[in-house]
Amino acid sequence: MTPERFAYLADVYGADLQRWPDTEQRAAQALLDSGNLHARDALQQARWLDHQLDSHQLALADPALVRQIRQSAPRSFWSRYASWLSPAGLVGVGIAGIVTGMLVASMSVPLPMLSSEVLPSVFDQGDAEVVFTVNAEETEQ
Amino acid sequence: MKDTDPDVELLARIGNNEPAAVNEMVTRKLPRLLALASRILGDADEAKDVAQESFLRIWRQAANWRSGEARFDTWLHRVALNLCHDRLRRRKERPLSDEDTAELADSAPPPDEQLETLDRSARMAAALAALPERQREAIVLQYYQELSNIDAAALMNISVEALESLLSRARRQLRSQLADTPGLARPGRGKS
Repeated sequence: MTPERFAYLADVYGADLQRWPDTEQRAAQALLDSGNLHARDALQQARWLDHQLDSHQLALADPALVRQIRQSAPRSFWSRYASWLSPAGLVGVGIAGIVTGMLVASMSVPLPMLSSEVLPSVFDQGDAEVVFTVNAEETEQ
Repeated sequence: MKDTDPDVELLARIGNNEPAAVNEMVTRKLPRLLALASRILGDADEAKDVAQESFLRIWRQAANWRSGEARFDTWLHRVALNLCHDRLRRRKERPLSDEDTAELADSAPPPDEQLETLDRSARMAAALAALPERQREAIVLQYYQELSNIDAAALMNISVEALESLLSRARRQLRSQLADTPGLARPGRGKS
């Protein structure tokens, strides 16, 4: 690489050889290693401007912007509705518990405790005797 | 430049609606997008809008991303650049006025030990804003965004030689403008 070519590339790409075209980097480094003053001078000029460019600072992304962008991303069905499915599920479980409790309570009441008036007449002894009597009369005929 | 695209796996995970992948993409790309748009537009609020719109395009594209074509980062730069161009066109290609530039340069930093740092940053911002649009774009893509000369030229739809010409002129103008700034003396050019 000629010193003129080196100066041209430093003027275009700056002082960091890593930013230069891949195909030029090795030859440029070799010229520098040879102690070429023209190349070193060109690099010094470029480094001054690089330093100025690097001084340009930007504000960090504010958390509100990050949050908005994250929320703009598509979400799966379950994660989209997870926020209200969760409380709805708790309510559902609660209702199911109440219903189950009522059912268990009603089944645990002992049968003899119920009044005989509540039971159907088929369980009544008197009715049973009538039925047997009628059947006996039919048999005799 | 045919090495593996580091963003492809992340895109696939976003396509599968993984919240952690969304967070990682925001962490990885938001600073780059804000830096690009802020320096091209010279306006932090507009840069935020460009970043948000760019991410909407990412979400739409993630599930359908086809690796092996453009690198994702290059594609993303193209999206953001186009959004910046739209905004610049809406300004009717009006460069920042002298008043705007003066505001950038004169925005008073707080009187503490960071004064000099902030002052230099403001002057650099003003010098960058004063560049012609294409020169500014070239130096932002090549220097700040660290894109290769081939990628930067492709994004600008120009040849590498044309890119180098823009870069050379941009750096010359910046040197000239900043050298006139008190306290920013350039090193003297030595003799070979």
